[in-house]
Amino acid sequence: MMTMTASDTSAPSRRGVAAAILALGLALGLAAAAPAAHAEAPRDAGAEQFVQAAAQKVLTTLSDKSASATQRKAAFHEAVNQLVDVPKITTFVLGKYARTITPAQSAQFTQAFRRYAETVYENRLNEYRGASLKVVGSVVRKPGDVIVNTQLTGGPPGPPLAVSWRVLGSGSNWKVVDMQFKGVWLAITQQQDFVSTIDNAGGDVGVLIAQLQRDAQKP
Amino acid sequence: MAGLLLAAALAAACAPAAAMAQTQLAEASVNGRPYDPLERANRGVYGFSMGLDHAVLSPIAHGYMAAAPKPLRNRVSAFVYNLSEPGTVINDGLQGHPRRATRAAGRFVLNSTVGLLGLFDVAARAGIPAHDADFGQTLGRYGFQAGPYLYVPVIGPLDLRDGLGRVVDTVTDPVSLFTGGIGTAFGATRTGLNALDTRVQTDGAFRALEDATDPYATARSAYTQHRVFVVQQATGEVSDLPDFDAPPAAGTPSNPPPPSSPEPSHP
Repeated sequence: MMTMTASDTSAPSRRGVAAAILALGLALGLAAAAPAAHAEAPRDAGAEQFVQAAAQKVLTTLSDKSASATQRKAAFHEAVNQLVDVPKITTFVLGKYARTITPAQSAQFTQAFRRYAETVYENRLNEYRGASLKVVGSVVRKPGDVIVNTQLTGGPPGPPLAVSWRVLGSGSNWKVVDMQFKGVWLAITQQQDFVSTIDNAGGDVGVLIAQLQRDAQKP
Repeated sequence: MAGLLLAAALAAACAPAAAMAQTQLAEASVNGRPYDPLERANRGVYGFSMGLDHAVLSPIAHGYMAAAPKPLRNRVSAFVYNLSEPGTVINDGLQGHPRRATRAAGRFVLNSTVGLLGLFDVAARAGIPAHDADFGQTLGRYGFQAGPYLYVPVIGPLDLRDGLGRVVDTVTDPVSLFTGGIGTAFGATRTGLNALDTRVQTDGAFRALEDATDPYATARSAYTQHRVFVVQQATGEVSDLPDFDAPPAAGTPSNPPPPSSPEPSHP
């Protein structure tokens, strides 16, 4: 096997690099023939089954051509309720402000955030409507807290998209609290977005609520 | 020459890391607020860069997307990506991943020949999928902290570690060393195509920023999480994730919290 050190890169010569590439090319067959043995991390079959069914359902409702736009929206809303822990995420995205928000503002925010998130995600997921989701594994972080890894195929052309879902629960009772692709967790990003917005408004949650209400009106 | 630069960059990466207090370092982890001491200046550069993007870069990218059909754009993407594989081989090697280095080298050989100078990713179809490796990741692999977040005009989000990584990757790039760098027609064309391809590939991210209530904070969050993920791919570590069951602990300083107090508290 080839190992490159910093000194190898200090004097790159055409011949040296070409020889290295040739050697690596020859070694390729060996590498392909001897795949790494992966240590078996604990999986959770219940969490995997939940994501397979509930996340697939969200994608399927968006591609239902027999439904009207209103029916599709209602079906999407219901499928999201089954997949996602909306109350938990609504609290999470407020970060530290979840502790100081007034009950009246909380009610306003809950409504505004739901409308905003549904509009945004319906648009973003449209590229993946009708795509099929396949669970490829899961990792138990601790009992009741599982990352389910999936691949989406049939969306935009290109290789399958790897998406991970963080699910909390037990038995057959699970809900998604966050999803990740390319290392970016959406709820964490949303929290940093909202908390920064409130910080910059001097701690006034009302400014964020008003902005979300405006954004939901956008076409 | 390249070795000297490498050593200089390593020394430069060490110096600020050593100078900063441990609490200030606050590795831009997924559950922590990114370390952004230059936020005011960064926000200014961000505003300028987005203005430039709206006026110049976005119209060029969308013109290209309208004029060139997707299959043709895919050939351009595959061609510029293939030229980055030798750099991937070097960084895989530096990270102590000979198997990955072998795969990247095999991809380069296969795609440069059977794949017609990289226009077609025949290696992926033969079961050798692409992976990325860069020098910022290599530094992270050996424990270098990300350092302060930086928004660089046109180039976009970076942190100190990945900015240094970009410089090292550029000066040690085997393809540039063979072909003579950006001063040559080939080098200039490659750089231009790379920039165009990158803007097209990130068009979805630009659109997602339009939905954000604070686009600057959203771009910073996504970038820092992505880079933590990239480094974790090299180290094999798993993410430290926040607790969803309780809001952050009381007493979290407000408006704005110092970088040493991660936003969502976690056990």
